[in-house]
Amino acid sequence: MQKDYIHIILADDDEDDRQFFTEAFEELKINTRVNTFNDGVELMDYLNSPEAILPNVLFLDLNMPKKNGIECLHEIKRNEKFNDIAIAIFSTSSSEEHIEETFVNGANIYIKKPSDFATLKKVLSDVVTINWQYHTSGLNKDNFLLRI
Amino acid sequence: MKLNSFYKSPIFLKSIFVVSIFAIFFISAITFKHINLLNDSSKRVKHSYDVNLELERLFSYLKDSETGQRGFLITKDSTFLVPYINAKKKIDRSFSIVKGYTKNDPVQEDNLRKLQFYINKRQNYLSIALHLSLKKPLNDPELKRKLLIGKKTMDSVRSQINYMIALEKKALKGRDKRYKDTIKVTPVFIYVTLLITLLLISISYIRINRDLEKMQLSNNRLKLMNESSSLAEIVGSFGSWQLNIARNEYSFSDNIYRLLGCEPQSFENGQNDFLKYVHPEDVALFDSLNTNDLENDTLPPFTYRVIRKDKQLRYFRTTGRIVTNRSGDTILIGTTSDVTDEVLASLSLEQQNIELEASNKELLAFNYVASHDLQEPLRKIQTFISRLSEKESDHLSDNGKEYIARIHASADRMRILIDDLLQYSRANKTEKVFEKVNLNDLLENAKFDLAQSIEEKEAIIKSDTLPTMTVIPFQIQQLFINLIGNSLKYSREKVKPKIKISYQKVTAADEELIPKNTKEKYCKITFEDNGIGFEQEYAEKIFILFNRLHNKNEYAGTGIGLAICKKIVENHRGYIFAEGKPNKGAIFTIYLSEDC
Repeated sequence: MQKDYIHIILADDDEDDRQFFTEAFEELKINTRVNTFNDGVELMDYLNSPEAILPNVLFLDLNMPKKNGIECLHEIKRNEKFNDIAIAIFSTSSSEEHIEETFVNGANIYIKKPSDFATLKKVLSDVVTINWQYHTSGLNKDNFLLRI
Repeated sequence: MKLNSFYKSPIFLKSIFVVSIFAIFFISAITFKHINLLNDSSKRVKHSYDVNLELERLFSYLKDSETGQRGFLITKDSTFLVPYINAKKKIDRSFSIVKGYTKNDPVQEDNLRKLQFYINKRQNYLSIALHLSLKKPLNDPELKRKLLIGKKTMDSVRSQINYMIALEKKALKGRDKRYKDTIKVTPVFIYVTLLITLLLISISYIRINRDLEKMQLSNNRLKLMNESSSLAEIVGSFGSWQLNIARNEYSFSDNIYRLLGCEPQSFENGQNDFLKYVHPEDVALFDSLNTNDLENDTLPPFTYRVIRKDKQLRYFRTTGRIVTNRSGDTILIGTTSDVTDEVLASLSLEQQNIELEASNKELLAFNYVASHDLQEPLRKIQTFISRLSEKESDHLSDNGKEYIARIHASADRMRILIDDLLQYSRANKTEKVFEKVNLNDLLENAKFDLAQSIEEKEAIIKSDTLPTMTVIPFQIQQLFINLIGNSLKYSREKVKPKIKISYQKVTAADEELIPKNTKEKYCKITFEDNGIGFEQEYAEKIFILFNRLHNKNEYAGTGIGLAICKKIVENHRGYIFAEGKPNKGAIFTIYLSEDC
């Protein structure tokens, strides 16, 4: 099946954040398809279901009930089926520990949730249009955290 | 000096003793010898007298026989022959006595033989003359001749006896002289020896007397010391004890008993009796002690609980050391002190410490979580405001727009506050990872972080080459950012900020600002700017959290930045000082310990 859009999934327990997220993509002139999930369990259930359409980019909030972002990251990285998914951590926190841990566990980029809608749009647009192959091959701790 | 030290040494008395014993032996030997000599000499004298007497007697017997013969010759009366015949027997007896006396004297024996010859000859002639006188008249020439020979022989006998007596006398005299000589020297000799012995004994008496005095003195001192140490034990609430390891014999000082609330020496000096007072849970401590494998011969101090006789719980600490005394016994000496007050104090201190640490940790966690969790709603407020001002601004009145702008500013300020607080609590966090880094790199990173601001203000930053140090990199970078940021923020209007960063290696002793008691070496880095400066009286205040010198309308800021700087420097065991001149500029000096 030929896809002419970028498939994006966001797992975030915060309703407002999900709304900002979808609104931002709506306003962006990029052909995307955005799915959101309310927590890690919902996300993993979907990804593991046979009818799942795997996303190009997965945005993971870290602090979620039931199953947090780190656990989801672990599960996804353990499964070869998900090798092609680019994982962007999307969190309020920018603490060293979280950045370190997610980097070590194989996330592709770390985004601190912006506090300005315009910035949010710019960040999301930048992230989905990254040439992931290029980004991942030269990935190191310095360019892991997306500086805005 | 040498003599004096010999006099004082214990060998001195021993040698005097030995010398005296020898002298006494010597004197008794000499005395014994002399008594023997005396005895001997008197025997000799008696002997000589006996010999002489017997010789005289012999001679007189001879004369008797001659007189008898003469009487008979003249009278022809045979009664005169009785003494003559008796004398003959007596002569024989007397002669044999003399012979017995001179048995061991070869010279006299020889003389005696001669005498015997003469006597025999005389007696022969006597009897010949007697026989002749019976046949012939008195004037017969034959008889006359025989009588003459008899007389001559008699003279020979006399002279021989006289000679023998003289010889005996001479021998006696010689012996007497020798005896006298010996007798004369001996008393002097004995006297001298006795005097020397007396002298030696006197010296040793003086010496012993002096030693006794000294002993008395040191005894007194010892007694005093004993008393003062026992007093010290009471005052210092400790006791001492000794353990003879080989014999497993304990002795406790009085105060050990007092510490246990007992009468001094009221129980046997043994570990078992002592252990009765030790808290049952701590008895095991004593079991594990082995006097044989003490490191460095030292019993390391250990603390345990005891239950006194009056049921009071006390803490004791015991320590000891092994010593070897003069008699070669290995003895463990030690002290046991009542450390209840110390232990209780340290326990409460420890408790307070734990509480403090816990509350500190709680505070930090609270600080971190609070500022962290505060970000979430704030971020949303900001995002919604941005949505509002972007999307809905057309529907708002001018007043509404103004309000929105005010809310926006407040939210921004809150964000800065939260960010700074987060940083501050991060600087406080206990886990500190030190790394060896080039400070120049950290400075470059800091400048990069502030690039926008530097560009806007057209600031000029000049810096010395900084050293490579072992530090917490992100903190030092933060320090540089805050200090440079501070200079940029508080620059004078219309004056391009100039920041000079200089570096110097110093020792604590050379610097006025830092404590002198260390010999540590420091890296001194100064940040000098040409900004608005400040009154020197605020130099210390500016490092206090939330302390601001300016109204927030004039200069944005939270009053956290320099507090973070201070915290970071303290994390590196360093110091930070500020120096300001209003409208001239400020100098921030940091000292970082070289070996942290």
